[in-house]
Amino acid sequence: MEQKTEFKKEHNEKSWFDKYYKLMLIIPLIIILLSMLYVYNFYSQTGEIFKRDVSLSGGTTITLQNEQGNIDIGGLEKQLLVEYTDLSFRKLTDIRTGEAIAVIIESSSQPEPLRKSIEEIVGYNLDDKNSSTEFTGSGLSDNFYRQLMLALAMSFVLMSIVIFILFRTMIPSLAIILAAFGDIVIPLAIVDYFGIKLSAAGIAAFLMLIGYCVDTNILLTTRAIKTREGKVNSRISGAFRTGIIMNISALCAVLPAFFLITGLPDSFRQIFLILALGLTADILNTWLTNVSIIKWYCDKKGIE
Amino acid sequence: MKLNWKIWVLIIALVVSVLFIAPWSVFEKGVVIKSIDKNSTESFSGLKSGMIITGINTYTINNLEDYSVAVSEIFSNTTSQLKVTVKTKDGSFILLMNQPFKMVVGAIPSSKIKTGLDLSGGARALVRPVNVTLSDSEMADLVSVTSERFNIYGLKDITIKPVKDLQGINYLLIEIAGATPTDLEDLVGQQGKFEGKIGNQTVFVGGKDISHVERSGQQAGIESCQTAQDNSEYCRFSFPITLTEEAAKRQADITSKLGISQEDPQYLSEKLDLYIDGNLMDSLFISKDLKGQVTTKISISGSGAGATRNDAIVAAEQSMKKLQTVLITGSLPYKLEIVKLDTISPNLGKEFTKNLIILALTVFAIISIVLFIKYRKLKITAAVVLTMFSEAFITLGIAALINWNLDAASIAGIIAGMGTGVNDQIVIIDESVSNAHISLKERIKRAFFIIIGAFFTIIAAMIPLFWAGAGMLKGFALTTILSVMAGILITRPAFAEILKKIQGD
Repeated sequence: MEQKTEFKKEHNEKSWFDKYYKLMLIIPLIIILLSMLYVYNFYSQTGEIFKRDVSLSGGTTITLQNEQGNIDIGGLEKQLLVEYTDLSFRKLTDIRTGEAIAVIIESSSQPEPLRKSIEEIVGYNLDDKNSSTEFTGSGLSDNFYRQLMLALAMSFVLMSIVIFILFRTMIPSLAIILAAFGDIVIPLAIVDYFGIKLSAAGIAAFLMLIGYCVDTNILLTTRAIKTREGKVNSRISGAFRTGIIMNISALCAVLPAFFLITGLPDSFRQIFLILALGLTADILNTWLTNVSIIKWYCDKKGIE
Repeated sequence: MKLNWKIWVLIIALVVSVLFIAPWSVFEKGVVIKSIDKNSTESFSGLKSGMIITGINTYTINNLEDYSVAVSEIFSNTTSQLKVTVKTKDGSFILLMNQPFKMVVGAIPSSKIKTGLDLSGGARALVRPVNVTLSDSEMADLVSVTSERFNIYGLKDITIKPVKDLQGINYLLIEIAGATPTDLEDLVGQQGKFEGKIGNQTVFVGGKDISHVERSGQQAGIESCQTAQDNSEYCRFSFPITLTEEAAKRQADITSKLGISQEDPQYLSEKLDLYIDGNLMDSLFISKDLKGQVTTKISISGSGAGATRNDAIVAAEQSMKKLQTVLITGSLPYKLEIVKLDTISPNLGKEFTKNLIILALTVFAIISIVLFIKYRKLKITAAVVLTMFSEAFITLGIAALINWNLDAASIAGIIAGMGTGVNDQIVIIDESVSNAHISLKERIKRAFFIIIGAFFTIIAAMIPLFWAGAGMLKGFALTTILSVMAGILITRPAFAEILKKIQGD
């Protein structure tokens, strides 16, 4: 009985998939293209491909503890904004009570004046017990930024080399590399759209994404072209059933850090946000982009 | 049941990790000596840092509180020498003391896992020499001068190490656990060029022309305090230094040519100006008796101001200590620039650590549920969760072994590593249940092709992070790589064996 439904499903999938797989490729290609255009547009307007936070552009981050909940957060933000126009203001909340346990204040200012202004408003002195101060000089942060972008490029190239060594065939390898590119550019466009300021840790997350996202692509390509049991379509659908669980479980590992447990260091949360965006984009890029190309390749090469 | 060697490897790796992490330290009683002055009674008695004190005289020491109670009671109104017996795990030590211990003690850490600054609190500075590229040996000199400054200043528990970035630029990374010293910026950022000048002639410079700096004793300390016109307080400090013969002769030479001051005939016409890194710090009158005299002992002075008398005294004492430190360690042949300075509150770190533990448990729980829904088999789900846990645990074990400080990004690496680990296990499970007509061994071999491919892409992607950005994100790259390595070498082969057993049942 089970075998029968399995067969039917495969049969259905086959006809549907055989008919439309080339069309399926268009959807992700359009999304990737739109993302690229959006990032390009962002670049032509701002001169950067994303907004940098103070760890990459230079400035000060002060994290103010609010354990007793006695800081008037709204008032503090309003008053500081008068003096520091580039100020960014975020809250860290406790998961159980939902109350702000700390406030993160970022500005391109030097630490001393910013600390003084905050002290004046909250009415007490900031010390190393009730606050944290992080300062990055602009020379260093520019340097960090350039190097991390270089590292990102290196990482992409190294990953591509590994893929070529693994499969030793042009089209399937390029398909994976295209999917990996989509996994980076789509989250980047989303980050730009929401105006999220990326930190050094955020770029590191993009590097990780490069390594993290290709495992489903490797699974798909291996099953499709390296093995010969059953038909191509059934191998692909088998790969999909395995791969989608991989995507889901990987998302399960990264999503709680962003949505459930909010009282974590900012750098930490950003890593998981980028990974979550990338893994979501990867579902699209593996199971629409890569899958269509590999099917096309198999058809052309007569792989059954 | 006979266990395959791959499963044994996993068991051994777990046991060894437990040994490295040593979680039983939670049950240890006593306090650990964190630092001890080289020239102190404590040090002469044989006590060393790292020793665990379990008792002093008749007092039993279980924790920091016991220690401070014991010390304050033993040394309460003592002026004569006391015989104090300190019991440690390495034996007893007898000390003759007339004042409380100067060594720094701390609570015994609950395991060997060390957390980074963002979780444990403390300060971090990244310093770069301006306009010069230092060779490795010059960098080592900078490390030793900086360490000496901290040492003389009295700060302990500090790591100072050179780091290099992708472009080959040298930095000095200074990390201080726990509290943040108020003078950190001055201690690390100062070139420390100290000069005494009369007119525009240099009499002496810090380091080479000074043979001794008096740091305590009757002549070194706060000299006087007064209230300024705007009601703020103002205190002067002074301490004697000994010049080398050569510098003293130079001073005599210069002063012999000076006349008597017009305004105050007690003094010479020019003053002795003291500069630090080119900034005038103080100007001292030179007594007319010193004209042309070769004198090696001179008094250096300066001041500190504050809103209250107490503030002014503290400020004056601090600047005295700083000046003494700079005079003793001498100056660096280049300027330094602090390019990054972070001070992290230990209280926030506690909150973060707590949340990280909740996060790890949540991730375990959610993944278990997803896998159970997919496979509907308790044994398989349990095997995956066990493997996931093993990977994280072995990674922590390796981190403890190599003394790695786990910061938030490192822990992100471990959690992300858990995610890839689960992915690989899903590949193994699905390969092992599919294609029943090929042997299980062959199917698992195929799974490992995918896993090893994914492994190398992760390694390739993370390697550039070891150098980029002065290695600030090294922790993230390292733990990610460690956890995928632990996975590929230890847990996944064992998982495949466990799965064979489950499938065989």
